[in-house]
Amino acid sequence: MMIFKRFIAWIGKLIITGIENVGEVMMIFIRTLRHVPHAYKHPNLIVKQMIEIGVSSIPLLFVTSIFTGMVATIQAEFQFRDLVADKFVGTAACKMILIELGPILSALVLAGRVGSALAAEIGSMREKEELDAYTVLGLDPYRYLAMPRFLAFMTMVPCLTIISNCLALIGGWIVCVLALDITTYTYYTGMQYLFHSMDLFAGVIKSFIFGAIIFVLGYYHGLNAGAGARGVGVATMNVVVASCLMILIADFFMAALLFQ
Amino acid sequence: MPNVNINPDDIMIELRGLKKSFGRQDVLLDVNLDIRRGETMVIIGQSGGGKSVILKHMIGLLQPDHGTVTVDGVTISTPEYFDTHTIRRKMGMLFQMGALFDSMDTGENIAFALREHHPELSEKQIQETVTEKLKMINLVPEFRTKMPSELSGGMRKRVALARAIALNPEILLYDEPTTGLDPITSDVINDLILDMQSKLGVTSVVVTHDMVSAFKVADRIAMLYKGRIIEVGTVEEIKNTTNPFVHQFITGQRKISVEDDSQN
Repeated sequence: MMIFKRFIAWIGKLIITGIENVGEVMMIFIRTLRHVPHAYKHPNLIVKQMIEIGVSSIPLLFVTSIFTGMVATIQAEFQFRDLVADKFVGTAACKMILIELGPILSALVLAGRVGSALAAEIGSMREKEELDAYTVLGLDPYRYLAMPRFLAFMTMVPCLTIISNCLALIGGWIVCVLALDITTYTYYTGMQYLFHSMDLFAGVIKSFIFGAIIFVLGYYHGLNAGAGARGVGVATMNVVVASCLMILIADFFMAALLFQ
Repeated sequence: MPNVNINPDDIMIELRGLKKSFGRQDVLLDVNLDIRRGETMVIIGQSGGGKSVILKHMIGLLQPDHGTVTVDGVTISTPEYFDTHTIRRKMGMLFQMGALFDSMDTGENIAFALREHHPELSEKQIQETVTEKLKMINLVPEFRTKMPSELSGGMRKRVALARAIALNPEILLYDEPTTGLDPITSDVINDLILDMQSKLGVTSVVVTHDMVSAFKVADRIAMLYKGRIIEVGTVEEIKNTTNPFVHQFITGQRKISVEDDSQN
């Protein structure tokens, strides 16, 4: 009986903690949104974050996107060899990359690179009382720290997704021309075949949601980071795990919603 | 320990029945303290005893579980009080580790709040103010281009002090201003605390366990022990105290010849 009571208490505590965490994440989101109308007063802060989040991520995204495009195309060719015409290699690569691979890959790479960096930065600032220093100076940290980062995520993640899509398609083309004996014309016409503008838009819409997920989880885990180097380390790990899970779950629901 | 014989108008900060717990840990049990306008009050007590927690209540970074915090006649500890912005504009705080913004240079650290709160000021006026504040803490204007990572511990605290006085506050809170500094640098900081009071006429609250510093800068000293203020007095009164806990603390003795010494 005692064990049963403890089990029920444990379940109850788990649910309450979960609700509290979701509430806190929502509060971060709302408090940040409240300062978005003041964005025009702080262009420097926003541009600085856009460079750190966006421009600095391009080299990593370049390598991952090119190789992912190459792998996707080479697999498409291997799997469909002798079954369909060569031009469908371009069709398969284009569909896969625009709808799923590009947005998901960019989001996962950015969750690892900039989501963890955000959690580490905010966690470190909290530890060194910099967040309190903002408050004491009468400056809301949500306005000077959260809002510029949020806007940078919301603009840069979609931009990087489009860049990633282009690079992956270029990777596929390189493989076709150099290794698969498929001409540029065949690959290009294959890409056009069955292409719908919704394929591209759906990927971009997803990337907005992914950007918001990475930001809000990065900020939340930074604010709740434990003390010392270990605390910040755990926070960065948690944000990568949580972001990846949430991105995949959100992708499932958006796939169901956008492609009904 | 409230001071009952002074004019209420002379009280800048008033703490009444302050209680605060973190989880199951009771940090403040019943803190009562009056800080007079223009004085330097030093709060002493053991490390981890809740001194910084008191300071954070004074500036509204923490809300008490029970009791009231009144600053310049305004009770800031009630849930209904949302105008923390106005009261914080009257206050500056020097954090234990300086809490400088790492991504900004020294000049930007000092100018940041100024620029945000006074958009009417020209860049020239802001730079003049930065130079003036740097001079007040005995640093040359060329220092403005240094990044926080290039500064020593003492320098960081001096720059943090310049940032704290950038908005000309009426109250300055110092959280362990000399912790981690060598005795000579500590004395430089002590002199700056005295300078701030004489030049700016501010009310100062200093939290420390450095007795050399406490005796040098204090007008009055309050001792926090086990969540309560157990004694308040001038430097001379504290030096000649009959309270065994206060005497033990200021003389730095490990053991005490009374029954309740479980913490030592």
